[in-house]
Amino acid sequence: MKSQIQVFIIMCTVAFGSFTNAQPKLSIDMGMGFYEPILTGFDQNEGVQFPTKSLFNRNMLVNWGFYYEFFNNARVGYNSFTSFEIGKNVLLPESKAAYSRSIKYRMFPIETYFRWKPKIEMNFTLAPIWGRGRIEIDTTPGDKEEDWDHVITSFGGDSDQLNDMGATDAMLNDWLGYSSMLGLRYYLSSRLAIDIKGGFMNNFYNEESWRVQRQKVNGPKMKIDDLPIFSMKFVYGIR
Amino acid sequence: MRILLLVLFIFNFIYSQKNNLAQSTPCEHPLILLAEEKGIKAIPIRDLIKFKKIVEDCERLGDKEKIERMIYNDWQRDYEKAKKMQSWSSTHAMCVFVSFAYYFVGQVIATKPG
Repeated sequence: MKSQIQVFIIMCTVAFGSFTNAQPKLSIDMGMGFYEPILTGFDQNEGVQFPTKSLFNRNMLVNWGFYYEFFNNARVGYNSFTSFEIGKNVLLPESKAAYSRSIKYRMFPIETYFRWKPKIEMNFTLAPIWGRGRIEIDTTPGDKEEDWDHVITSFGGDSDQLNDMGATDAMLNDWLGYSSMLGLRYYLSSRLAIDIKGGFMNNFYNEESWRVQRQKVNGPKMKIDDLPIFSMKFVYGIR
Repeated sequence: MRILLLVLFIFNFIYSQKNNLAQSTPCEHPLILLAEEKGIKAIPIRDLIKFKKIVEDCERLGDKEKIERMIYNDWQRDYEKAKKMQSWSSTHAMCVFVSFAYYFVGQVIATKPG
């Protein structure tokens, strides 16, 4: 019975879907963001030499998102700003490890706007943030090679077939925050626009609430509160 | 139940064919009429390439003015719809502006304690 109801809903959607014609309300966007955090835990770390800081791994953010226009002059959506850093041979006491770090600022914005001129729009964005930091290290664990050797020999293989093993674990941290931005959008066509925003974000980051495999650990010191942020992106109206 | 669903499904195809029936010149194509009536953004993405081709054909046939009017009306429609903020949206915009100004003015004039 339950599956019949689902089939009925799907069939009705297909059957009546072609009757609907509406102004486009859904848009996607992609672009870049710029900000200036102070990542003391990485830059002034004396124990581990993390990759040298640069514009790409500190100041630039990859930005994508989607919006739905739910009211005449208002949109709601999801917007993600991500900062990446990758290092191939980070020196550790016993080995060289592959390391990657990402800081994601996931915003859930409510954006109101008005058209100042037919092609120019001003928009106002207020967004709660769900931030996530992730540090991933690909390193050599102690007993792994021995255990795998044991399993392989149990299948009838030689015991010295493996030379090196790796394992990846990640430490994670979540935090909350908020952001406020003013923006200017120029419509290149009725569907395509370029959007420039400026504002600030505040993150309640706590370096003591990182976790690895569900165990609480200390993380790097990062100053990511009270940060000015700028973004530039292309917006495309889907439907 | 199955017969009812089958009928609905068949109706969907019959209806979808109906759009393409009355079409004598490219300028009277249903997609052009839809764009004139509800705006260019009302055209489904899957029909965009087709729409572009029809617009080019229409312009080639000499009705360039009609296309220009359609594009102009589209801009005007969006502009008229969004030139004034409605209901609570202006309050929201004001909140954003105040928080924005408070933050940046604070960055300039605030002094660090101690």
